[in-house]
Amino acid sequence: MLTFGSEGCGGTELGRLITDRFAARIQRHLVADGLFAGDLDDLGAVKADCARRPPVDGPPVTVAVCTRDGADRLPACLDALLALEYPASLLDLLVVDNAPVDDATASLVRSRYPAVRYVVEPIPGLDRARNRAILESTAGIVAFTDDDVSVDPGWVEAIARIFAGEPDVDAVTGLVVPAEIDAPAQRLFEEYGGFSRGFDRRYERVDTVSGERAARRHGGAGRFGTGANMAFRRNIFERIGLFDIALDVGTPANGGGDLEMFFRVLKEGGTLVYEPAAIVAHRHRRTYEALRTQLANNGIGFYAYLVRSAMHYPDERAAFLRLGAWWLWWWNLRRFAQTFVSASAYPRDLVMAELRGSIAGLGRYQQSRRAMETTRGGDA
Amino acid sequence: MSRSAEWPIAVCSVDVSRPIAPLTGLGRYSRVRVFVSHGDRLIGSVDVWHRGADTLSASRMIDALADRHSETLFRYALRRQLEGTASASPRLAPTSVSIVVPTCDRPDDLQRCLESLVRQRTRHQVEIIVVDNRPSLGRTKAVASRFPSVRLVEEHRAGLSYARNAGILHATGTLVVATDDDVAAPDTWIEKLVEPFSRPEVMVVTGHVLPLELETEAQCRFEAYGGLGKGFAAFEADGAWLRSTRDAAPTWRLGATANAAFRAAVFQDPAIGLMHVALGAGTPTGCSEDSYMFYRILRAGGTLVYEPSAWVWHRHRESMPSLRNQIRAYSTGHVAYHLLTLMKDGDRRAIVRLLYSLPRHLLVRAVQRLRRHSDYPLSLIALEILGNLMGPIALWRSLRRVRRLGPGPAPPVAKGTNAVSLESQAT
Repeated sequence: MLTFGSEGCGGTELGRLITDRFAARIQRHLVADGLFAGDLDDLGAVKADCARRPPVDGPPVTVAVCTRDGADRLPACLDALLALEYPASLLDLLVVDNAPVDDATASLVRSRYPAVRYVVEPIPGLDRARNRAILESTAGIVAFTDDDVSVDPGWVEAIARIFAGEPDVDAVTGLVVPAEIDAPAQRLFEEYGGFSRGFDRRYERVDTVSGERAARRHGGAGRFGTGANMAFRRNIFERIGLFDIALDVGTPANGGGDLEMFFRVLKEGGTLVYEPAAIVAHRHRRTYEALRTQLANNGIGFYAYLVRSAMHYPDERAAFLRLGAWWLWWWNLRRFAQTFVSASAYPRDLVMAELRGSIAGLGRYQQSRRAMETTRGGDA
Repeated sequence: MSRSAEWPIAVCSVDVSRPIAPLTGLGRYSRVRVFVSHGDRLIGSVDVWHRGADTLSASRMIDALADRHSETLFRYALRRQLEGTASASPRLAPTSVSIVVPTCDRPDDLQRCLESLVRQRTRHQVEIIVVDNRPSLGRTKAVASRFPSVRLVEEHRAGLSYARNAGILHATGTLVVATDDDVAAPDTWIEKLVEPFSRPEVMVVTGHVLPLELETEAQCRFEAYGGLGKGFAAFEADGAWLRSTRDAAPTWRLGATANAAFRAAVFQDPAIGLMHVALGAGTPTGCSEDSYMFYRILRAGGTLVYEPSAWVWHRHRESMPSLRNQIRAYSTGHVAYHLLTLMKDGDRRAIVRLLYSLPRHLLVRAVQRLRRHSDYPLSLIALEILGNLMGPIALWRSLRRVRRLGPGPAPPVAKGTNAVSLESQAT
């Protein structure tokens, strides 16, 4: 990252800063592109148009945007989707409207975005909406994004390139960058850790040869990415099941269903790739209150995911218990303690909000399972 | 990381001057060791943890190569572009090369070795000599007879140096290449290995030795111990290098007779001679005949070139007991080598090595292990110490054995260009 003062930065100066800072990474990319082309001899002369990997004549992709009363946020999101550099014939754009209170979204999509399909999932819950998208999708690959996100024009191509070249890969997550850091709450969210998971491609897989415990290395599923930028092979859901709707309850924003699915893919022997070339820009919450709610939901979602996975995979329980205890100490309690000694510590009420969410999250999953069973019993 | 993931390791080589193909059938392994070359040049290796996935895609391999070797590959590409094809190194005129392969009743290994030797693509005239060091068993003869171009020589006295010398004495080439029966060579090996002889002062060329497979604990431990290779960087050594240290000059880091080429003339030089028969596998000392040979050549003023790109594949011993034997033999032979340089060549630096730097080296490694800076087992370090302590007795027993069996026939009378002595070539 490069930081500039308010006076701005000239083009030459910017070029110098970029080469100073990123020469090694640029060189690495040139070499990788040369290796791909099977020709390293051209690298010495850095040509004006850097050797680009050829475009994929790739697989059809369904892009699903799950939204709830998001008619004001959707236009930016859908405009970016229409600007995707991917053959339109291979692209299936889908808006899943989750328990809408009015028809604002429906009329927006129908009037302004005829190329986009619109479906309704009447029961509230993000994971229900995601499952609806999977059922409605027409392509072999389903990519998910959120209504507060603008995708990069090369987003789908980057995802499709992984799926086309790596038959073993079942899931791809990507880089989420902040669309803007204007409001203090947005700066605080980036300070909290943001959504970015780095600029190096990673291949994640449970080692089947050594027989390692999945949760020991992969339990902290947040490091793989987030639901705002994830894609799956559609057929993996037939093998390992859909998103767990019990993770929805009480957390309309993010119930940890995405983290749980990342872990399930790996636990069931799949491979997940974090591909930083698949970029989306996320508009962080602008108000302090919205940020606090989001952090509380993060706490709920993460611990509900831990409990859910520990319940479903008895062989992973010890590893999850250790992970949960460590995270509670390292992330929640240690940061809480810091607020008393360090002036630069994270705001105490935000740490508290997440801590409260975390503790609530421990009971949330069983609670919602019980609630679902009662409803089902009542229906019968 | 659980212990069982440390082996087996899949081994492969990739030539990046051509489009890279995916690897398949990797389900048994947690990681792949990829040896990277660009055309004729060996660049390095990279471990890719694919964690039991059956295939390793091309793009995944490219990522690993770019992460690990982008700087080398970039510099190399840039240099080739700046130099163009104009300044290609002067090429050695076609000459005659004798490859000497001593073998000790290992028919499967020998079969693979000879298959790779008869496939050599080279401008030179190649002669392959197999020396059977266990002729009474008769299995080597059966393998050698399948290759009409291979000459078979018998040496009844057990010992790698006896066998190697018998082969050298039968060799007719201007250059003699030493290799082992558990080696397999890529088909451009000979061409690359002998190329440095275009410089008249070069008397020996050694090459890299890469693992053919890393299937068992013993094979992986041996590779971690250092294997037989001497790294991916080319280097040279000469008389000045040999004299430059206060401690004994580390001739054991120059290469091994699993992959070495000599000017045939060195064996007739009175200051050098043949392989020392008191050293080497099959004798009480167990090894170091190659280090001693390099020592004599450098002392006589010759130059040694290490050319990593002329690599061979070596199948390491599979079982832990044979690995222990080998490591003990290395340690015994190492001490025997230093004693021999002290006794025969009056090199007093051997005392520094034996009484100071070798014990210190072992101590440092033991401390590193205890501090968990390395995972080399203490039991093997103890075995090395034991082997070192046995060195003097082993050398004494070996020299007594040589007196009984005879040091071997003298080299034949020098003929033609081979007779040029080192002194005249060096000046």
